[in-house]
Amino acid sequence: MILDGLLPVLISVALALLAIGALRRISLWRAGQPESVNIIAGLMAVPRRYMVDLHHVVERDKYMSNTHVATAGGFVLSMVLIILVHLVGLDNSLLAWALLASTALMFIGAVFVYKRRQNPPSRLSKGAWMRLPKSLLSFAATFFIVTLPAAGLLPVNFGGWVLALVLMAGIVLGLGELLFGMGWGGPMKHAFAGALHLAFHRRAERFGGGRSTGLKPVNLTAKILGVSKPSDFKWNQLLGFDACVQCGRCEAVCPAFAAGQPLNPKKLIQDMVVGLAGGSDANYAGSAYPGKDVGNAKGGPTQVITEGLVSPETLWSCTTCRACVEECPMVIEHVDAIVDMRRFLTLEKGDTPNKGAETLENLIATDNPNGFAPASRMNWAADQNLRVMADVKDVDVLFWVSDGAFDMRSQRILRAFVKLLKAANVDFAVLGDEERDSGDVARRLGDDATFQSLAKRNIETLSKYRFNRIVTTDPHAFHVLKNEYKDFYPDGQAPEYEVFHHTTFINELVKASALKLDMYKGGTVTYHDPCYLGRYNGEYDSPRELLAELGIELAEMERSGFRSRCCGGGGGAPITDIPGERRIADMRMEDAVATGAELVAVGCQQCTAMLEGVVEPRPEIKDIAEIVVESLIEEVH
Amino acid sequence: MQPDLSAKSLKVTSLISVGQHPKSGRARRAEQDARAVELGLTLSDDQLEMLHVGSGDKTVMRSYLGMGLPKMTLLKQGDRGDAVPVLCDYLATHAPDILLTGVRAESGEASGMLPFLLAEKLGWPLVSRIAEIGEVNDGVAEVLQALPRGQRRAIKVRLPFVASVDNAAAEPRQSAFGPGQRAGINDMPVAGGDDVVRSGWEESPARKKPKRLKVVKAKTAADRFKAATAKASGGGGKVLKKESPAEQAQAVLDLLIEEGVVR
Amino acid sequence: MSDLIRRDPRTEWIARNRLHPLHGEALFSTSGHPVGDVRGPSGLLRKNPHGVGFIGPNGIKRIDRLAIQLGESGPQGGQRRGAKAAVEVQLPLVTVESPDFYVVAVLDMVGGRLTGHDKDVLGQGHKLVAATEGKGAVVAVTFGDSKEEGFDKAGVDRLIQFRGEQYDGYSPEQRVTALEAVERELDPEYWLFPDSIAGGQELGCRLAARLGERPATQAWQVDAFTSLCRGGSQRIDISRETPRLLLLGEECADQIDETRHEAVVIELASVPASLSRIEDCGAVDVDPSQVPLGEAEFILSAGNGIHDWDQFHQAAETLRATEGASRVAVDDGFMPRHRQVGATGTWVTARVYVAVGISGAIQHMQGIGQCDKVVAINSDAGCDMVKRADLSVIGDSQQILAELIRLVESRQQGGAEDAA
Repeated sequence: MILDGLLPVLISVALALLAIGALRRISLWRAGQPESVNIIAGLMAVPRRYMVDLHHVVERDKYMSNTHVATAGGFVLSMVLIILVHLVGLDNSLLAWALLASTALMFIGAVFVYKRRQNPPSRLSKGAWMRLPKSLLSFAATFFIVTLPAAGLLPVNFGGWVLALVLMAGIVLGLGELLFGMGWGGPMKHAFAGALHLAFHRRAERFGGGRSTGLKPVNLTAKILGVSKPSDFKWNQLLGFDACVQCGRCEAVCPAFAAGQPLNPKKLIQDMVVGLAGGSDANYAGSAYPGKDVGNAKGGPTQVITEGLVSPETLWSCTTCRACVEECPMVIEHVDAIVDMRRFLTLEKGDTPNKGAETLENLIATDNPNGFAPASRMNWAADQNLRVMADVKDVDVLFWVSDGAFDMRSQRILRAFVKLLKAANVDFAVLGDEERDSGDVARRLGDDATFQSLAKRNIETLSKYRFNRIVTTDPHAFHVLKNEYKDFYPDGQAPEYEVFHHTTFINELVKASALKLDMYKGGTVTYHDPCYLGRYNGEYDSPRELLAELGIELAEMERSGFRSRCCGGGGGAPITDIPGERRIADMRMEDAVATGAELVAVGCQQCTAMLEGVVEPRPEIKDIAEIVVESLIEEVH
Repeated sequence: MQPDLSAKSLKVTSLISVGQHPKSGRARRAEQDARAVELGLTLSDDQLEMLHVGSGDKTVMRSYLGMGLPKMTLLKQGDRGDAVPVLCDYLATHAPDILLTGVRAESGEASGMLPFLLAEKLGWPLVSRIAEIGEVNDGVAEVLQALPRGQRRAIKVRLPFVASVDNAAAEPRQSAFGPGQRAGINDMPVAGGDDVVRSGWEESPARKKPKRLKVVKAKTAADRFKAATAKASGGGGKVLKKESPAEQAQAVLDLLIEEGVVR
Repeated sequence: MSDLIRRDPRTEWIARNRLHPLHGEALFSTSGHPVGDVRGPSGLLRKNPHGVGFIGPNGIKRIDRLAIQLGESGPQGGQRRGAKAAVEVQLPLVTVESPDFYVVAVLDMVGGRLTGHDKDVLGQGHKLVAATEGKGAVVAVTFGDSKEEGFDKAGVDRLIQFRGEQYDGYSPEQRVTALEAVERELDPEYWLFPDSIAGGQELGCRLAARLGERPATQAWQVDAFTSLCRGGSQRIDISRETPRLLLLGEECADQIDETRHEAVVIELASVPASLSRIEDCGAVDVDPSQVPLGEAEFILSAGNGIHDWDQFHQAAETLRATEGASRVAVDDGFMPRHRQVGATGTWVTARVYVAVGISGAIQHMQGIGQCDKVVAINSDAGCDMVKRADLSVIGDSQQILAELIRLVESRQQGGAEDAA
């Protein structure tokens, strides 16, 4: 057959082009900042990370997971065998049979990809991605046919030159998309970049069931703080952006996108890709940032991102709820990237929108975001007779009060929790006026300088006293204390305490029968997972167990657990206040109303404030501590 | 009002001081001084000199510099030093067209005398509590002065002049940490006498001012008793439920007139 | 009708029970005498001690001898006394002839009238006169035309009025020149200024700089020897020797209210004209809607209960009020964010705050904590805003606003006609 001579040449050319493209792509990533990774261990871990961790996320969509296994598995296997059979020329009918099987598998997968693309949901990107199923089909089909003679199923010289030409075209199309395109920025780039991204991920702890959600510290003595240009990202962050498959799952779960704020996580990552490669977003074929047109964004590796590529409003729309990160099958870290760019805006440009600047100034001058007198931090507890660490020095449980101390609504939660602690005879104390804001808001607003200053001073205070556990009613403080403070302990020191959220803590008390509770008497209840408790810290069960202890059968919202929708209160979003078409809190309340619940149980004062801000009529909102207190059977002494 | 282009070549000096947060007492960028810097930056980007006399608290100086100035001048002096002669010496050789200050310091004596003393010593006119500087033509600046409750007065003043900047002026831009850390502080030690008068004073944390009681010149014991026991606020407010909208509106209007907000 | 005297045990029981609401009537019907004075059998007027007074809120009998509470009980006495009090008491006149020294108080005279602060300063002047040896007189210095008629009762012994167009508007240079003339002629023992934003602080500082005096500023407790001055950010007090020139804080001393003073006008020989490098171009008309919320003194604020936004804006314009809004109104896009009142928006200090259709979320209530008078216009009588308000009108806000607009407009027209 005519092709016999040509095929190895074509394959070699395609492989060579792939190699050149790959090297070029790698050089683009290397424009980023250095970050040390373990190359060997990383590469070794790829199969496991791919088959277990990544697949675990993809599997949330069974159709796509099976399709991908067939297509990708079939392709990888086919490619290896093609090289052996058609390039190296091993004449082994077993290999040929195997190749037939794998291309058949890939073909079947590709058929499903094709079907999926017949009427794609809006979250999927179109453009080149619409071409992909056809390329996959032609690759699988042509190599199937070309391999038939090798398997001895067809005579070696079957068909005429017409068939040869058709096959030739198919092979060129298939190899072009799958090998050339992989190296030169086609849709298949995701396979190559994705594999390396899995190998050199910046948060290797995330694989194998771990969790890594704390933001990385900024080196405050660096020449430039935060990320202004794509080349200011770490090189493996750039690599991560390239791994995006534009599946749009992030877009589907993003609360800001749904609210019509100018943010779409998928578009943001694609803009980062535009930035690292240089050019414009004219070829982007997915949903735009709400209210903005596609095609106007231009950028390059050394051009400032916020001047032409991504507007600052886009960055400030994010609530850092991590829904996109949780959903991303390619394990891309959107929130890290957004906060990195915010850091530049705040620390270098001094351009935190709306009340951001005021909040940060207050944090610097008064250690709380609203500028209250630091000496009035304990006023809420004037009637609570709380013990203060400065007096007792040594205690079992340190109750971290958080800035809820200054807010009259949150004080109700604090009082309820104190009542429970007292009822359970917990040996606890508070820091009193020595406590400062945890730094959560400052950090999400990009002001790592203020965050670090608050963190270091809080750590200094904590180090003065002895206690075994910290418990707090604020999931944001909980997250920061648990996951982010450890980076700021002086050398050779580490936190020697566990951090608990109050729902976990109360649940433990109830399980240990330290609290006597009545059954809950009331209507239907639903539970809203706070992002910083759930997705950031994996605590989905304790609040539910606790509510079950009260005899409450939860009417779960459609989006609950790891898919919980943000209340709109995180990441400083209420402070930066980027206008959209609707309010995130209103949408969340609609979710709650749809369950028919009369009461929304919450485990976060910020969520409480946001949800209570929804205009009535709406279900009542109560913190779990408040609900438990109502059922508390008080012992009369 | 946008400053005229010719204003761009103006030499402006903004005096800055170490402020104090009213609630926490922590040193910070003073509100009025920061506004003076902001006003200076809008008047002339590159010809603005930021000047401080004192010990020069580093974090505070850096927070002013974070507004985007590449450098500032620090006339280094002890805490008890008298800033006025030092400033007069310096300004005599580095005279700007416009000298901006705050109205009152946020710490220490906070007499508000500094701009007046400088104007007197330099022999320059002074406009107090300004909100905005408009066009500068032929050596005459158009200035908006802030009056209580948001009112404004237009003033023309000859250059060079001193102006104290009111809280009604445009809010200062956010201070960015990075540039603030990298900017230069031009440190000039100066010989200046101590503030001798002040050494004889005693400072103490502010006492609560006694609220003046309404003294009732009562002629009878019952009157005095009533005055002493009367509730201050008079309990809850009046609620009009059943009246017609016209009557209700009249009641509201009466209150507004009584309070003098509707004239 | 039978002659038998029938007892009515119920009435008697009521007559004995002074807590009973019908006690008074029962007493009358059983005794046959009106409550109060009774002509006794010997012809003497007798007081029935059970018949006078009323039962106070905690069940204790109170006798109101001033007839303030109840017009009925003892009306004659009360009215007589009331009439006496209504006659204005002629306060004793204090005269100072050929004083040994002067204390000069330079007054703000906002709108041509003495301010409370001015009166405090005059009070302080008399305190210093009393504490100094010799006969002293308090001299008030005013600039521009005055409408004040109560100089005598505010404690002004001598009065210097600088009139003329050179003193109008913003004329600090000319005013200081005038004060210098006062310095030359009277050589005051003390110079007193109100430390106020209405001009007192500026003039005081200017004069201090001119005379080379080191003033006491924000002084709030002053005697002849030491002055207590408030320092920066209201955080420290400075105790110092009392200087010759003082800028006095509000309520520094009690106002004069028990004496009258001469208020003799002193004419100064002549005041030189100063070279003016400052030209006052007049007040700029400021649109109340442009006034920052934090500074505004009269705010009309809208919440979720507003449905006709055009009408709301019209009302604010007619009333010349600054517009505010609740968070919900801002979130729904009806008002810009910088108009939001509350803990998460702007903390306001308005003297009058009118909340239309705002139920009063806790954050909102925190933000209006410093307002003097709050008016609620709301359809829900049970909402938190009504509990906080000094005046609440319950009803349809649209109708009430319409009426309010109509009233103000007719008032303005009426005013215009009166003026014409």
